[in-house]
Amino acid sequence: MINGWLLLLPIGIPWLGCLAVWLVGDRRPRLQHTLAVIFSILAGVAGLALIPWSTQRLTLLLSLGGIFDAFRLATDGLSVFLTVVATVIGSLAVIFSVDYMHGEHSLGRYYAFVLFFIGSMSGLVLTTSLLWMFVFWELTALCSYALIAFHNDDPKAVRGGIKALIMTQLGGLGLLFGALWLYTYTGSYDIPQFLGSPNSVPPTVLSWMAFGFLIAAAAKSAQFPFQTWLPDAMEAPTPVSALIHAATMVNAGVYLLARFYPAFEAVPGWRFAVMVVGMLSAFLAALMALVSFDLKRVLAYSTVSQLGFMVYAVGAGGVFASQFHLMSHSVFKALLFLAAGAVIHALGTRDMRQMGGLGPSMPFTHVVFTLGALALAGIPVLNGFWSKELILEVGLGHGNPTWIVSLMILSTGLTAAYTVRMVAMVFYGRGHQDHHEAHDAGTAMKTALIPLAAGTLTTWLLLGPFYASLKLSLPHHKLELNAVWEEAVGKAGVSEWEMTFKVGLEILREPSTYLVLLVVVLGVAAWLGRARLASLIATFRGVEKAAQASFGFEAINEVVVQAVQRAGEALRATQTGYLAWNIFAILLGWLVVLILTMLGRAG
Amino acid sequence: MDYLDGVTILLVVLGLVGIGIYTLMISRSLIKIIIGMQLMVKGVLLAFVLAGRISGNMGLGQSLALTIIVVDTIVAVVALAMAVRVRRRFGTLDPRALTTLRR
Repeated sequence: MINGWLLLLPIGIPWLGCLAVWLVGDRRPRLQHTLAVIFSILAGVAGLALIPWSTQRLTLLLSLGGIFDAFRLATDGLSVFLTVVATVIGSLAVIFSVDYMHGEHSLGRYYAFVLFFIGSMSGLVLTTSLLWMFVFWELTALCSYALIAFHNDDPKAVRGGIKALIMTQLGGLGLLFGALWLYTYTGSYDIPQFLGSPNSVPPTVLSWMAFGFLIAAAAKSAQFPFQTWLPDAMEAPTPVSALIHAATMVNAGVYLLARFYPAFEAVPGWRFAVMVVGMLSAFLAALMALVSFDLKRVLAYSTVSQLGFMVYAVGAGGVFASQFHLMSHSVFKALLFLAAGAVIHALGTRDMRQMGGLGPSMPFTHVVFTLGALALAGIPVLNGFWSKELILEVGLGHGNPTWIVSLMILSTGLTAAYTVRMVAMVFYGRGHQDHHEAHDAGTAMKTALIPLAAGTLTTWLLLGPFYASLKLSLPHHKLELNAVWEEAVGKAGVSEWEMTFKVGLEILREPSTYLVLLVVVLGVAAWLGRARLASLIATFRGVEKAAQASFGFEAINEVVVQAVQRAGEALRATQTGYLAWNIFAILLGWLVVLILTMLGRAG
Repeated sequence: MDYLDGVTILLVVLGLVGIGIYTLMISRSLIKIIIGMQLMVKGVLLAFVLAGRISGNMGLGQSLALTIIVVDTIVAVVALAMAVRVRRRFGTLDPRALTTLRR
């Protein structure tokens, strides 16, 4: 039981750090940098310290009275893995910020919210109470809003922040209703209990919950049709984009779907809907990334697209594949974002047309960025290759619709194309006159980038141990690797590391791997040979125009945001501040409760 | 205790609370609002005593009532002190002067 308190550390340490940084005040920026780094590294250590408990359950239960449920925390493979991602990548982002945010004002606000976010994200994945999950879910949304709008004298940043807040809040409603329904029918918010017996909830309500959670996940993970808030969120400082809008918070949606997969698996139409949402996001966002000129927006679209792969994988029945890709993606995308941050910091612009020829002047950034880009494109040996292959393998089996998986494979080709385009525009070609003296990444930036680059090369080696810990600790999930692999790994006495090796070999043996690689090569070739294909590309002008205009979804999202803001303005009239009106409203509320109670008695 | 007695006390409770709420709603002087609040609390106090009597927990109802008297006195004192401050700062006792929380 004494160990149970260990679970509070990844939440509590960053929150303490948040208070400390805030109390130090903006007069002493050096101390703020130091404190933020110390606390985030401590949080990272606390996250890593949970790894031994990923296979055995460690629980903490703090009773809070009846209504708000007990404050429950528990470990299993999934939650420990995401805590480690949040705290470790969080600490790297904070280290990176020491250089990136050097000399900015209101550092206290910046570091306080980053640290608050790290703690909230750990809480979100560690809790096993649906109500508390909702609370942490909204806390992460609040931090994301505050950090997007960090440069609060820039109207674009403020608008982006408000948009992100409203869209993710819309999704939060789905989660809240799900939690309340669950409580109404089972009398508890306990997630493992619900996963064990999803039939304790009537089928209609279960399907409402399933689709409500899908909306919640789509809004949080910036999936179709809510994807437009993420590109607008790129007004945030780059380390924030790397941490919140690439590596952790946007993964919460995928985590939600994966966590509740056993309960909703059997709901008619749900898996299909999840697959379609994932496919549309992956495909459309890849097209948009291909035509965007803002370096960070390209990365944002690519995040939407890669999250689409993960969502698709959950729908296709590959919970493990989706989580494995989540791990790879958060490492290589954090690397890409932070390296892009180094470029932006050096040049002071995000427009790729103003870059070019930066290879010689920023050799270190060039190498790590290319490494991340290759992983994103799915080039073998890097972690992105293995996890993407796993997802497509799952999509090809299990009787999943072929047309969807074909579009997914096409998306991998598009991914390769936009990745090559991005690297070529930034680091190669004719240099821009002004940037000859662009300086390479500073020491703190390098300290943050090196572990991520190493991770990009090596995290796929964890496949076996990660699979084993998920398999052992998630009793309700059916983690199916492909039948062939089951055979390879099913033999007794196969150690975890051997399993990585065997599954790797199996991937290399699959014919579909080469199909995907062919598509990837075609994607690269299509970009390099675009001059030759000019006539063919011209026929797709319409698509390009549509992609640059976000396929019209921008308008839909804008309508939602405007409606919410207008409703807020309209409701402001009810807040008169007059005592008489407030008393009247209290009486009215009391009457409503009374009538409802009496109706309940009668019924 | 008779059934009718209970009903009478209940009516008195409702009357006191009703008068209190009505005062809170219509009056435009902080002093009158505090008086309204006092009336309401007295009604609630009576309701506690009655509830204790009906459920057979006479002691519990009465001790709660005593607690309420103590708390309520403090509330009245603090509220009156605030009314004095408001009068000095804003020059009026009208609660509408306080809606924006600034002068």
